[in-house]
Amino acid sequence: MSKLMANLALYLFIFSISYTASANAASSVFTKSSFEEIKQKNLGKKWLMILWSVDCPPCFKELALIEKLREETPNIAVVIVNVDDNNETARERQQIINSFNLSTLANYYFADGLGDQSRYLIDKSWYGELPRSYFIAENGDFHGKSGLVKEEVIKKWLVPQEK
Amino acid sequence: MSFFKVKVLLLICIVLCLPSVVVMAKHNHQTMIKEQAAENSCQNHNISCAKTVTSSFARNGDLWRVWTVDEQLFFQISKDNGKTFLSKQRVNIPDEKISARNENRPKIAFDKANGVYLSWAMPREKKYTADIRFSYSTDYGKSFSIPSTINNDNLLTGHSFNEMLVTEEGEVHLVWLDSRLSFKLRKQGKEANGSALFYASANPRKGNFSFTNQQLANNTCVCCRIAMDVNQQGELAIFWRHIYGDNIREFALLTLNNNAGDELKPIQISKDHWQINGCPHQGGGISVDKSNRYHMVWFNQGDKGKGIFYASSMDHGKTLTSPLSIGDINAQAAHPHIQQNNSNIDIVWTQFNGVEHQLWHQQSTNNGKSFGTAKQIAKAQSGTDRPFIIKRDGKSYVSWHRPKQGHWIDAL
Repeated sequence: MSKLMANLALYLFIFSISYTASANAASSVFTKSSFEEIKQKNLGKKWLMILWSVDCPPCFKELALIEKLREETPNIAVVIVNVDDNNETARERQQIINSFNLSTLANYYFADGLGDQSRYLIDKSWYGELPRSYFIAENGDFHGKSGLVKEEVIKKWLVPQEK
Repeated sequence: MSFFKVKVLLLICIVLCLPSVVVMAKHNHQTMIKEQAAENSCQNHNISCAKTVTSSFARNGDLWRVWTVDEQLFFQISKDNGKTFLSKQRVNIPDEKISARNENRPKIAFDKANGVYLSWAMPREKKYTADIRFSYSTDYGKSFSIPSTINNDNLLTGHSFNEMLVTEEGEVHLVWLDSRLSFKLRKQGKEANGSALFYASANPRKGNFSFTNQQLANNTCVCCRIAMDVNQQGELAIFWRHIYGDNIREFALLTLNNNAGDELKPIQISKDHWQINGCPHQGGGISVDKSNRYHMVWFNQGDKGKGIFYASSMDHGKTLTSPLSIGDINAQAAHPHIQQNNSNIDIVWTQFNGVEHQLWHQQSTNNGKSFGTAKQIAKAQSGTDRPFIIKRDGKSYVSWHRPKQGHWIDAL
């Protein structure tokens, strides 16, 4: 009986760990406060924020790059933000995140109809062209780049280089 | 495993699961409430539920507006230039997916004999694949033909961003961005960049349904709308974002010469040097006046030119007036549209100040030689669609959809 209980407890333990992980991995709405949280959480290290859309084929290439880099270096500091601000694309958005195995990555989305507001929070000089990548330094300085970024550039920024 | 350890494990399970379950349950409940509310308000397929609206004047002066909700097309007719609209009607064709957001949207046009023509892009089962669809009515919208596919390649690849012009006699001209060439190259293991510009025409009213596909250009940007007008010789002037060199995204112009044998020579219009291996999501606008001057607007973020620009050309784009900057670049000025009307040139665009979305207007009364002061003419609190100018009998109107708020149309 105690063996059965022990097995049950183990299964429950594993389930609870994975459930908690998946619950935390769900996409969250991007807001002023969540943006502040993201910045605070990553302060003191180099990190990358990628803005993408379901209507942007080159964005997929950048998501695929992140997928590949995470296979090599699982703990790279990347935050992905979907900019579609459209409830109709929610399912598609999640399917794409899952297809690139990025569901455990911190990921956010612009709320329906608040695309411009959300974009403005990040960068007043960004006009919505995609993909948009922000390289954030240890001191919190943002450096924005529009268009697909080369793998070696991302790697150099996120992966500690051997000296 | 001791009983104590089992209890500890179970306790950890409860501690780990409970907050997540509570949060998830709360989140799901709130999401359900919001979704239910949205669903209820959109059950009647109200125009405010649409992400885009397309408006155009019929040849008899009626104003039509078309929108998409739940894989269905709807239209409304106004007899008083948009002040009031008759009852909403559904385009009576079978349900199918319809691209209707941002740069992609259905198009509507009319002939002089109660003909109503619709075209749109229908997303297919694979990501970034779609077909160009077409349907028409010969009884002013009472009934529509079963939609047909215009692209003739039978390939599961991209065909999208359709633009349509219909003459008084019912000659239908369609252009779109087509990925068949890049699809074939990739199948051969070769590199490909961008899409191609394709064209087809037919006259269903006269029994001509050929819509023979013709390639007009290759290496176009894949995610910006096309603009099209007709010049005084009845030739199509087509304006789109092209890829030059190493991902330099500039606007190109092609006049589809009436001489069928002539070589197609697109002309580069913008020289702002916007290098981006990505999606600008900003197409341009073109309008040809009675003197055959081409008036154009575009948006770029190049290292030689940033923001909205206006220029015109008297020789099909070979030479150009000096590009004039339009709008406030520090206020997110974007998505310009243009329309000539006698000697008036109207340009509209959107701006955003961090709180409200604004619709701006600037007018030239001397055919583009000079422009008056820019004026804000409308605003919105939540997201907005692109603005468009349409005209009727010497008067121009701006059509601006504001999802959740409603469609707005007013004389300029």
